[in-house]
Amino acid sequence: MKVAIYGANGAMGPHVIRALEGEHELRLSDVNDLEGSPHEYRKIDVADIDAVVDAAEGMDAIINLSVLRDHRKIAFDVSMRGCYNVMTAAVTHGVRRVINTGPHFTLAGATYERFDYDIGPDIPAQPGTNLYALTKSLGHEICRVFTRNHDVYVMGLFFYNFRPDDSQIGQDLTPYSLTWEDTGRSFASALAVDLDTLPSRWESFFVFTDLPHHKFSNEKAKRILGWQPTQDLREFWTKSS
Amino acid sequence: MKLLVTSAADGLPARLARDLAASHEVVRTGREAATGLVVCDLGHDSATDYLVRGIDVILHWGGTDPEDSASDRLDDAAYRTYNLLRSAADAGVPRVVYLSSLSVMKGYPEEYTVTERWRPEPTTSVDDLSYHLGEYVCREFAREQRLSVVCLRLGDLVWDGEPTSSSSLLVEDAVTAVELALTSAVKDDHRWTLLPDPFDWQLYHVQSAVPGARFATATARSTMGFESVLEAE
Repeated sequence: MKVAIYGANGAMGPHVIRALEGEHELRLSDVNDLEGSPHEYRKIDVADIDAVVDAAEGMDAIINLSVLRDHRKIAFDVSMRGCYNVMTAAVTHGVRRVINTGPHFTLAGATYERFDYDIGPDIPAQPGTNLYALTKSLGHEICRVFTRNHDVYVMGLFFYNFRPDDSQIGQDLTPYSLTWEDTGRSFASALAVDLDTLPSRWESFFVFTDLPHHKFSNEKAKRILGWQPTQDLREFWTKSS
Repeated sequence: MKLLVTSAADGLPARLARDLAASHEVVRTGREAATGLVVCDLGHDSATDYLVRGIDVILHWGGTDPEDSASDRLDDAAYRTYNLLRSAADAGVPRVVYLSSLSVMKGYPEEYTVTERWRPEPTTSVDDLSYHLGEYVCREFAREQRLSVVCLRLGDLVWDGEPTSSSSLLVEDAVTAVELALTSAVKDDHRWTLLPDPFDWQLYHVQSAVPGARFATATARSTMGFESVLEAE
């Protein structure tokens, strides 16, 4: 499969690339320079609609990893308008498979997390007004509107915390955590899944390892994507001997 | 009341500023210099904070300029609305009235009785997306920041008194609805809890009583007391 990856040089990008290379032909892009990669690379700002559309030509799938958390203007440019640009690119070139990404509070903001348990991804979004959460949520909503109006599928993969450092072993961990390796593998699953088996053209997945907290639920990602985490981070949520 | 009207140089906001000035103190703001206008681009800066200080109600126009690029229009719709509401929440502005459009509900077949309880079905046109994303931002400020927001989804504006579609809204009716929205309050009649309602997010469909009216205005009528001038004829 030919796959365009936007935001390929961020924190998640290298792990996604590692999981996909060999199986897929990758066209990488990022606003920053990327040196030493064997894959095709384009220096692109995801807020530049013309460049984004151009980079999707001839692709079978698009992965959007782009994100900007703190600067208000650029957060809207990247996390919200970036999604509009990516979806415009998909529709322009007939790319039917789009994988969008974000933090868990794209959907499950503080109004869920502070109160509830077994929180799954099929909930009405309540991102709140946190800049990172709201801009990502607006972007994901743009994806939804595109899937309602065009023959394009969007899988939203949502993450939260990645493996903490060893100093926290035995002290519990964010009850929505994952290793980078299992993170990368979730993208391979989302590229492999038959689009016709998805319940709708717009689906969201909470991606984290199996944890005993029952704070959030990863059941849907396992059931529909066929993804299975391989490392349960047990050393963090059990007492050290 | 002291009102702030955004995009007040022309169109409905200009008309609102003019008509409401008869009974309120009105501050008009816009992106470009014009007589009587406070210039502000609703950026992430102290100018926006200063603009909302001491305001009782902000009337925020959700429309964007079709002459602008899609990127600029989406910025206007979401980024500048976020800046305005962030400043409003921080300054303790008592209410925001967001002027949206019934166009976000036109994805449903015309024979359906579409009310405020139906999920918006915007197209991917920048027009629709602009209103939809603006509403999205407003709703989160109402929910999380407890900002009082009244969202008016307005019909197709008519300036000469001659309705052109089944969702037409005479400009006189638009002014009436906005004036009512300055002080509207959700009634407690149908609430299922005895606890005080912590939220003030009000949503109303507003159009004139044209023959075969596409959208019901029952909620605006029962809660705000809205009545179209065409009903009196």
